[in-house]
Amino acid sequence: MPTSPVKTRIPLTSFGHLITEVKRQLLGIEAPTSVELIGWRKYFNSYTLQGRRNCVLATYGIFAVTAAAYWMHRQNNKEKQASSSTG
Amino acid sequence: MMLSFFDQFMSPTYLGIPLMALALTLPWVLYPTPSARWLNNRFLALQGWFINRFTQQLLLPLSLGGHKWAALLTSLMIFLITINMLGLLPYTFTPTTQLSLNLGLAVPLWLATVLIGMRNQPTHALGHLLPEGTPGPLIPVLIIIETISLFIRPLALGVRLTANLTAGHLLIQLIATAAFVLLPLMPVVAILTSTVLVLLTLLEVAVAMIQAYVFVLLLSLYLQENV
Repeated sequence: MPTSPVKTRIPLTSFGHLITEVKRQLLGIEAPTSVELIGWRKYFNSYTLQGRRNCVLATYGIFAVTAAAYWMHRQNNKEKQASSSTG
Repeated sequence: MMLSFFDQFMSPTYLGIPLMALALTLPWVLYPTPSARWLNNRFLALQGWFINRFTQQLLLPLSLGGHKWAALLTSLMIFLITINMLGLLPYTFTPTTQLSLNLGLAVPLWLATVLIGMRNQPTHALGHLLPEGTPGPLIPVLIIIETISLFIRPLALGVRLTANLTAGHLLIQLIATAAFVLLPLMPVVAILTSTVLVLLTLLEVAVAMIQAYVFVLLLSLYLQENV
């Protein structure tokens, strides 16, 4: 029976631990320590809890702004069409 | 009156009065209340042992905040397992074959776990939406995927229970009908079909217990992430 190339005890609810262990054991990529995260990476990264939270909030914020801009653009187009048809 | 195979899943009514409430409350009659005596009868002792053992097992991975859910999760488990098992008796109605009931159980409980997480530890709850160590370009994609999987959870919980029980009951009815029809025509084949029916019924007993356990276990896992 082939065994997993990744040797670790992975909690059932954590997908993140699997990613870090696969990167470390199969690809040799070590997770950066907190002192190595400088600049904007200190606040937006996928290693610290606060970094992951900020990435999630930023993604939701970008989606909300894009959706709002698209909706306002459609409203403008409808108003323009309504005014050109009556005028 | 010709019955179709799906008539067993219709909500029962009697003279226009819906009997769903009766179907949901009747299983509780089977469980006696513990008395004030120190030593009860064998049935109560067995019931108490099962509830204690199950609660201990379920709450093992949960932190102290999750222990408040002990009564809810244990009573939900007893409720589901009793309804599922009673539904395997002939001519009974199984309330958990109704998607409305299962979604009515799954959605509020899932939503409660999400709101508890957002209220008590919002950073942890939001951090769960991005797996640790995700490569940079994949971050937005994985956040969308994790958000979708978060919202799919209550649907999956409800539909899993509904589909498993409905499919099982349908199969039992189909194979039983086949055995009954084949009996005068091909008795040997009918006996084989009856053997399959017996094995399928045993399987459905296991599925009834397992699906109730899976429902409660997944809820406890969702609670574990947020507490």
